[in-house]
Amino acid sequence: MKPSSIRYYFKESFSGLLKNRLMTVASMATVAACILIMSFSYCMVNNLQYMLAQLEDDIGIAAFMPSNTTAEQVENVKKEIEGIEHVTEVEYVSPDAALEDLKKELDADDILAGLEGENNPLSNSFNISIDDIKNQGIVLQKLNEIKQNGGLENIKDAHSETEVLIKINTIITVLGIVIIVILVVISVVIIVNTIKISVFTRKTEINIMKYVGATDWFIRWPFIIEGVLIGLLGALIPMLIAWPAYAKSVSMIYDFFPVIKNMVTFRESSEIFSILLPFSLIFGILLGVIGSVTSIRKHLKV
Amino acid sequence: MINIEHVSKVYPNGSAGVRDISIHIEKGEFVFFVGSSGSGKSTLIKLLLKELDPTEGKITINNVVTNDLPREKVPYLRRNLGVVFQDFRLLPNKTVYENVAFAMQVIEAPSKQIRRNVPAVLSLVGLAKKSRSYPNQLSGGEQQRTALARAIVNNPPILICDEPTGNLDPSTAWDIMDLLEDINRRGTTVVMATHAKDIVDMMQKRVVTLRRGQVIRDIQKGGYGDETEFN
Repeated sequence: MKPSSIRYYFKESFSGLLKNRLMTVASMATVAACILIMSFSYCMVNNLQYMLAQLEDDIGIAAFMPSNTTAEQVENVKKEIEGIEHVTEVEYVSPDAALEDLKKELDADDILAGLEGENNPLSNSFNISIDDIKNQGIVLQKLNEIKQNGGLENIKDAHSETEVLIKINTIITVLGIVIIVILVVISVVIIVNTIKISVFTRKTEINIMKYVGATDWFIRWPFIIEGVLIGLLGALIPMLIAWPAYAKSVSMIYDFFPVIKNMVTFRESSEIFSILLPFSLIFGILLGVIGSVTSIRKHLKV
Repeated sequence: MINIEHVSKVYPNGSAGVRDISIHIEKGEFVFFVGSSGSGKSTLIKLLLKELDPTEGKITINNVVTNDLPREKVPYLRRNLGVVFQDFRLLPNKTVYENVAFAMQVIEAPSKQIRRNVPAVLSLVGLAKKSRSYPNQLSGGEQQRTALARAIVNNPPILICDEPTGNLDPSTAWDIMDLLEDINRRGTTVVMATHAKDIVDMMQKRVVTLRRGQVIRDIQKGGYGDETEFN
């Protein structure tokens, strides 16, 4: 590729964009709108999954030992639980600690007064965290085996809550993917049409180029650059809007509903956009290249 | 220079463009393809330009068999062929100079060479003074001379003309023919499809007559022939 040719490619693609000004702006706007909606869906899905993960972390399994167990027995059972696959953390809760928790939860010190020490009816227990709530079933099965051997007396799990969370998670993910796929298809169709018009207005030019012996790539380059510019600008504009908009929305939600912060947190905007920005730009560029290559193909067959 | 051996072209719809045609053209020749519309002239021109591929037979241009030429090599074949069409096919938004320079740009000729060759070829076709004009400011003859300048600016050994005088009045047509003869005298092989009887008769060059896709006459220094035998 000669420098003079590269200059020619850029000159041609810019003049092509200017000549079809209306279509250029229209397609950039459409690509921008598609990417904006896509970013919005991504932010939603990503945050919801993030929040679900936070909620999932709170859902653990509580396992209670029979009363009057020795410290050695506690230690053995803890080791046994830790050995189960998918278990990430086992927290030992002594009867005293459990009583403290209960007092705090009930906010009724007087009712529970006098149950400390020897009189404590609560038993040794464990709070068990697992890597993914999907694996809860497997872990429960193992815990039940320990129960049958007498190591545990009672197992409390959040089975129904878990199921709901898994379902919500699946629905959100599927919905997000569907929206994104639809928007990708729309963007491709639109960009293909813009470049088709651009190619069509330069049909004679391409025809002459073919007759005087221009190579296919020489003919293609200006259109590819044109498509890339449309895609790139079409991706950059929504990013410039979405990033500050996201950061602002999150801080506004925190301001209006301070309570929410105690339950869940949103993803940092830098976290979201460090993925979304490069993805959108690459997507825009790909869109442009695919659009131009497909729309010019027919005209090269002379 | 050009060798057409037993070439047939049957279109996908079954109609035959040309049937079993054999024509041999030497370097430096001036050849007319004549015949009524539908005789296969256009098909033959398209086969030479490799716009179409023959269904049978073999075409050799400049020692290259074009039938089995891979797609990516076609541009290089075409650089041996200058082409002029009836409808000029100039770019309306480019000046005369730019239209001619375009043909050099797209084959990535050095810009120094472009600046040297374009004025030279424009003065050869008598358009030196019109180099800054746009096609819509030119007469038909001037437009065709621009197209001719574009066709020869890369010095192709072969010039193919498809009805180059079809859209021109008689005296302008003769200007173009004078130019073609001039170009031919400089060593370029010229192939011209036409049905301008008076021009063919006056030029006294080789005439290949086609009828229903077949060569019915091929004579040196001939005339257009009797039109009744064409149909």
